[in-house]
Amino acid sequence: MITFEGVTKRYPGGTVALDDVSLECPTGRITVFVGTSGGGKTTALRTINRMVDPTSGRVLIDGRDVRERRPAELRRGIGYVIQHAGLFPHRTVLDNIATVPYLVGWNKKKARERALELMERVGLEPAMAKRYPFQLSGGQQQRVGVARALAADPPIMLMDEPFSAVDPVVRAELQDEFLRLQDELHKTIVFVTHDIDEAIKLGDRIAVFRTGGRLVQIDSPEDLLARPADDFVAGFIGRDRGIRRLSFVPASSAPLTDRDVLPADTPVERVTAVGWILVVDAGRRPLGWVSADALPASGALGDARLAPVGPTFDAETDSVRAALDAAILSPSGRAVAVDGSGQVVGVADQHDLTAAIRPAAPLAKDGVSG
Amino acid sequence: MDIDWGWIGDHTDTLTEHALLHLRLALLPVLFGLLISLPLGVLCRRWGWLYPPALTIANVLYAIPSLALFMIFIQYTGLTPSTVMIPLTLYSLSVLVPNVVDGLASVSEPVRQAATAMGFGPLRRLMRVELPIAVPVVMAGTRVAAVSSVSLVAVGQLIGQGGLGEDIIRGYQLQFQTQIVAATVLIILLALVTDTILVTVQRLLTPWARARGASS
Amino acid sequence: MNDLWNQIDLCWTWLTASSQWHGADGIPHRLLQHAYYSGVSLLFAAVIGLTLGLLIGHTGRGGFLAITLANFARAIPTFGLILFVVVIEYSITPVLVALVALAVPPILVNTFEGVRGVDADVKDAARGMGMTGLGVLWHAELPMALPLILLGLRTSAIQVVATATIAAYPGFGGLGRYIIDGLARNDYQLVVGGTVLVVLLALVVQLVFAALRRVVISPGLLGSARSS
Repeated sequence: MITFEGVTKRYPGGTVALDDVSLECPTGRITVFVGTSGGGKTTALRTINRMVDPTSGRVLIDGRDVRERRPAELRRGIGYVIQHAGLFPHRTVLDNIATVPYLVGWNKKKARERALELMERVGLEPAMAKRYPFQLSGGQQQRVGVARALAADPPIMLMDEPFSAVDPVVRAELQDEFLRLQDELHKTIVFVTHDIDEAIKLGDRIAVFRTGGRLVQIDSPEDLLARPADDFVAGFIGRDRGIRRLSFVPASSAPLTDRDVLPADTPVERVTAVGWILVVDAGRRPLGWVSADALPASGALGDARLAPVGPTFDAETDSVRAALDAAILSPSGRAVAVDGSGQVVGVADQHDLTAAIRPAAPLAKDGVSG
Repeated sequence: MDIDWGWIGDHTDTLTEHALLHLRLALLPVLFGLLISLPLGVLCRRWGWLYPPALTIANVLYAIPSLALFMIFIQYTGLTPSTVMIPLTLYSLSVLVPNVVDGLASVSEPVRQAATAMGFGPLRRLMRVELPIAVPVVMAGTRVAAVSSVSLVAVGQLIGQGGLGEDIIRGYQLQFQTQIVAATVLIILLALVTDTILVTVQRLLTPWARARGASS
Repeated sequence: MNDLWNQIDLCWTWLTASSQWHGADGIPHRLLQHAYYSGVSLLFAAVIGLTLGLLIGHTGRGGFLAITLANFARAIPTFGLILFVVVIEYSITPVLVALVALAVPPILVNTFEGVRGVDADVKDAARGMGMTGLGVLWHAELPMALPLILLGLRTSAIQVVATATIAAYPGFGGLGRYIIDGLARNDYQLVVGGTVLVVLLALVVQLVFAALRRVVISPGLLGSARSS
C-alpha cells in the first residue's frame, strides 16, 4: 500500500505542483492518476520513488516513510516506466532489460536469463535480444521499457504515460497485454495518463488531478462515471460518460429470449414467427438472420439467404455496453448472446437491454460524490 | 616577468600598424573561406555523394601544420602575403564547409516542405528559408575559423608575413619579454574582439534565436 | 604539374636516403620525439578536459564559464605562448604546457556538450531505476557522449601534432626541426620532407581514432545515423 499524507510540492518561484494531496494506492491494484497537464499527476508519481521530494507531507510505502531510505536503494525496488521508454541507446535490448539486476549485483548469466524470460513475458521475440533500441518500433521499445521495469521483480511499478507515444492500435494492444500481465503478477501499480479512456480501461482506482496540483476525486471507474465530484471531473470524463458507464453494468441481468432462435433444418412450413429469425446449426452456433417475410415457399430454414450474424456478446462476462453495441450493429436490431463455448443462449433487443440498466444501479445526478 | 611599459608606450605606432596588418592577414582568408564554402556546402547538400570526399579533404587539410602549409606555398607565391592567406583560407574551408552542410541539414523537413508548398522555388527557398535557418551553425563555424586564423597568422612570420608575429620573433631573438607579451596579448584581444563582433552580427542576423556558444 | 612531380620525387629521395634513418637527426629519433611531445601533451589535456567536461556536463553547473574559458584559450596564439615561456625558462616543460593549453578546449567543450546532450528521458530512467549520480555518469552519460568526446580528442590530437612542429623553433627537435632547418638553409627538400612526415603522423592519428571509434562506441549509437 502506498499512502500519501498531505503531500505538497511547492517550487521556488511559487508554482504549486501538488497541493495537500492525501490518497491511498492499494496493494496489488492499479491506481491511475489522471488529469490536465500541469495537474501534478507526474509530480505525485515521482514523489513515490523520491525523484521529487515533497515540500511537506509524507509518502509511505507499507507504512514506512520513503524518506527514511536512500533514493538509489529505494528506486531499485520500484519499477519505473516512462513515456519514451528512455532506453539506453548504447545497450542491447537484453542488457537494457538486465540493467537493474546488474545494479543490484546479480551475476551476468542469471541477469540475462531473467531478461530473456521477461522478453517472452512482454511478447518480444528472443531474436530481438541482440538488437539496439534504434532498431525497434515505438511499441517494441515500450515493451522493452516494461520488461526492464519488471526485471528485478519489484512489488511496485510506477508508469508515467507509458503508452502515450504510440499509435492507437498499438496502444490498445499494449493495454490489453498490460492487463493480462497484471492478472499474473499482481503488482502495486501507479499509472499516470492524460487519457481518460485509458484510465477507465486500466484503473482499479482513478485519482483525478486538476491544475494547481489538487486531487479532486478518487474512486473506482464505475463510481467516477456515475458520480463525478464536480463539473471539472464531469467535463474531464466527457459528455458520453453515461454510455461509458454501461461498460461496468454486466449484461447477465438482461432478459434473453430464445423464441425466435431456430435450427437450420426447421422446415419453412413450420415457422410461425413474424419478424427476424436467428438460424443456428445443430450445435446451436449462430449462422445468420432471416426475415420471416423473406422465407422461400418451401424447404428448410438453412436454404434461405441469411444476413450475417454481426457481433455477439458473452452473456456471462460482457457488459451492457458490448451488448448494446452488438444490438445496434445487428441487421435485426437484436443482439445475440452466446456462452463461453459460442453456443447461442438467446437474443435481446435494445429495449430489453436498457431495461437491464435500471435495476443494476440508477444513473446518479451530477454533483455529489459517494 | 618584467614588463617594460615604457617600451610599449614608445612603440604604439608600430604595434598598431602590425595589429592592423595582422587583422587583414587573418580575416580576409575567413571572408574568402565563407564566400567559397557557402556555394560548396549547398552543392554538397544537393549532391550527397560530394560530401564524404569533401569532408575527407577538409580533415586532411586540417591536419597539415600551418608552418608546413606556408612552406609548400612559398614555391608558388614566394614570400608574399598570399603565401599566408591561401593556407589560412584552406583552413577556414576545412572548418566552414562541414558547418554549412550541418547548418543546411538543421532545416527541418516540415519547414522545407512548407516553403515548397507555399510556392518557393529552389533558389528562393535557399535564400529566404534555408540559409537564414543555417545562420547559427554557420556562424559558430565562422567564429572558430576566425579566432584560429587570428592566432595562426603569427606563425607566418617565419616566412616574413606575420603581422604581430614579427614582434614575437623579434622579442624572442632579443630575449625581450615585453615585446612577446605585448604582441601575444594584442593577438588575444584581436581574437576576442573579432569573436564579439561575430556574435553581435549573428544576433542581428537571427533576431528569432538567442545566440548559443560555439562548439567545435 | 611537372613541378609537383619534381617535388614528390625530391621528397621520396630524401625520405628513402639511408643517412636519414640514423642518429640524433635521423627520422626515427625525430619522429619519436615528436610523437612523445604530442602524446604527453594530449594525455594531460585529456585528463584535464575529460574530468572538467564530465563534471560540468553532469552537474550542469559552470557550463557558461567553461565554454567562455575554452573560447578564450582558443584565442591564445600558441606560437607566442611557446616563445614567451621559453624566454622565461628554456626547457621543454613550458612548451608542453603550451601544447596542453592548446589541446584542452576541444576536449573540454566536446565532453561537456556530449554529456549535456544526453537525452533527458534516458537520464530520468537511469535515476529512476536506482542509479547513483556516479552510476548515471558511468553507465549512461559517458558512453553516450563518447562519439563527441572522441571527436574532441581527435581534433586536439591533430592540432597538437601539427603545432608541435613549433617546438623546433626554440630548438627542441621533433619533426619541425627539418622544416625550420630547411627554411634557414634554403633547403626545400628538407622542408617538404619534414612536412610530409608530420602529415603522415597526423593521418596515423586519424586512423587510430577511426579504429577507436569502431571499438569503443556502441553500435547502438552509430546506427542511429549520427554524422562523424
